[in-house]
Amino acid sequence: MNKAAEKRLFVFVCTAPALILLTIFMLLPTAEVFRMSLYKWGGFSNEKVFVGFDNFKILWNDLNFFRSLQNSIVLIVIVTLITMVMAILFAFMLTREKIKGNSFFRIIFYIPNILSIVVIAGIFSAVYDPTTGLLNNLLGLFNLENLQKMWLGNQKIAIYSIGGALVWQAIGYYMVMYMSSIASIPESYYEAASLEGAGRIRQFFSITLPLIWNNIRTTLTFFIISTINLSFLLVQAMTGGGPDGSTEVFLSYMYKQAYTNSSYGYGMAIGVVIFLFSFFLSAVVSLVTKREVLEY
Amino acid sequence: MKKKVLLAGMSTLLAFGLTGCGDKADSANGSKSSGDKQTVHVAALESAYGKDMWNKVIDSYEKANPKVDVELTVDKNLEEVISPNMKAGKYPDVVLLATGRKLALTETLIKDKALEDITDVFDMKVYGEDVKVKDKLVPGFTETLATNPYNDGKTYMAPMFYSPTGLFYNTGLMKEKGWEVPKTWDEMWALGDKAKAEGISLFTYPTTGYFDAFFYSLLLEVGGPDFYNKAMTYEDGIWETPEATKAFEIVEKLAKYTAPTTVANANDKDFTKNQQLILDNKALFMPNGTWVVGEMKDAPRADGYEWGMTALPAIKDGGDQYAFTFFEQMWIPAQSKNKDAAKDFLTFVYSDKAADIFAKAGAIQPVEGISSELSGDNKLFYSIYDNGAKAGMGGFAATDAVEGVNMADTLFGTINSIVSGDKTVKEWQTSVEKVSDQLRAASK
Repeated sequence: MNKAAEKRLFVFVCTAPALILLTIFMLLPTAEVFRMSLYKWGGFSNEKVFVGFDNFKILWNDLNFFRSLQNSIVLIVIVTLITMVMAILFAFMLTREKIKGNSFFRIIFYIPNILSIVVIAGIFSAVYDPTTGLLNNLLGLFNLENLQKMWLGNQKIAIYSIGGALVWQAIGYYMVMYMSSIASIPESYYEAASLEGAGRIRQFFSITLPLIWNNIRTTLTFFIISTINLSFLLVQAMTGGGPDGSTEVFLSYMYKQAYTNSSYGYGMAIGVVIFLFSFFLSAVVSLVTKREVLEY
Repeated sequence: MKKKVLLAGMSTLLAFGLTGCGDKADSANGSKSSGDKQTVHVAALESAYGKDMWNKVIDSYEKANPKVDVELTVDKNLEEVISPNMKAGKYPDVVLLATGRKLALTETLIKDKALEDITDVFDMKVYGEDVKVKDKLVPGFTETLATNPYNDGKTYMAPMFYSPTGLFYNTGLMKEKGWEVPKTWDEMWALGDKAKAEGISLFTYPTTGYFDAFFYSLLLEVGGPDFYNKAMTYEDGIWETPEATKAFEIVEKLAKYTAPTTVANANDKDFTKNQQLILDNKALFMPNGTWVVGEMKDAPRADGYEWGMTALPAIKDGGDQYAFTFFEQMWIPAQSKNKDAAKDFLTFVYSDKAADIFAKAGAIQPVEGISSELSGDNKLFYSIYDNGAKAGMGGFAATDAVEGVNMADTLFGTINSIVSGDKTVKEWQTSVEKVSDQLRAASK
């Protein structure tokens, strides 16, 4: 056996298990989602009727779907914006500033991330409780009774209440990611900058931000994927999409259609739209944030 | 050479790993018979009545019928346990799982026509007894849309544990304040104003799902059984009739008397907080079923608390008061491999022995003479029909699945929006009629 063939064989043997598993558990099911979206099927019987793009046509006129899509987009936007800004800010403060109890805060911020989403749902339904909840009582303490709300009962703000819980659980994770890249920026840059008279804010915008840009880009994709997934889990555990569908996100709507409305094919059509949407969104975000990578 | 051996070894290992699961699944197939013994796979939902009664009933059946081995699955999330196997073609033989559950597995099978016709079971003799099943059953239970979903005279689901539903309240509070339980809606509103003056809300509900029995009773009150059946079979324009409008308006008015925190807690996670309002004397009435007593048994409550249940108030003085009867159903999947054995078992659950075991756990079947088995709070609840309330039964007729359209969400889920003021009753009524139109087009 010659060297080249031997190398090819070695590479093949090493990657085969992963490739086979990937095909069986990722590629085939994804293809299956696309295929099933063209059928009308309840989920159990053997009677699958091919209906072409009918499911997508119904979807186009389904106002409930558009509401869930809207909710998902709202969540992706606000959770990403708020979490990113706060995580970078905290990361900068905890790495660059000498704050007392530095490592204590790191732990505190990271704790929500190790909690299961069901626990978070429990915590936040206690926080948002209209009578005994932390939030309303806190507002009452400061005589801000007019700000007290039915956080999960008012249809106009319920989705933001869900967003609040998502931000709370995400900050720690992204903070740690940003901290690691901030910590690897050479100290000498900051020294030089301060000798030149740059203040902290200037340092942050001219040194820290450009040098962790690549890291931020990566996390943007994470934000999109994790918000889509976690918002589903949180909504399922916390409100079940209510009141009257006002916190429904597109994954929970898909789940509802596929598993509780006996419209499995329709659910898969929603799945296809979500799949394309998240791919497309990630690609756009990645494109518009593309900058020359700064090396140091 | 070595590498070839390595390659071969790895491939075998991989193949072995992948097929490993498949083998196991095969041997776990419940419908194989060992020797001359037949295995019947019974799957039952574990509800407030507990798991134990099922073990006892199975034991007693195996004693009575030595030719059968019963494999039992009892779980609180039965759908999640049995559906993966069902998708893979391994169906249980008998299933106790009611309609109206969140995951709607039973409804899905109805829509897919995947239930076995069990009309003949009611003419069979109860296993080990000399009585036909239909002679044991209380009349009326097998003539509803909840047992004959296609409205064609054929029975696909057997009625099991039933429970009257109605408005639950604290008898102690009513006595203490000297208030009468309202017999008409007008009295209800008067009571609502009196209670309001004392800082008590008239009404609350656990989640909007609990409005099913409530709304069905209300429809029966405004229009009688004929009207009700027309509504349940999606007759054109039925939701825009004066009768239906009356029902919608009553809910609209009730929404104004609903405890303010209700909507915020009306989800599967926090619904007990709404039920707690009754126990704390913060609200007077809630729609519920007899299971609520067990569900809230450890919850703190006001002094002198005592459960009470009443039928819905009548529309006018002397009008009919309805208390909807909710019952769980037992059915045989069309794909079951032991249908005859399954039917035998199905007759056995109505035997005196089984009924006795069930009743001791609080699960009451609609069999003659069961009232002597009742005890405690149940005695009061099940006597509601002796006190003049009429019983309503059955729900919406089955249709083919319509994508994106759901009657329960539209008819009941919207009530949250009515209470919070996000939608008007007119909008609600229009959307219900629209859904009814869409479902009628899809009904058989």
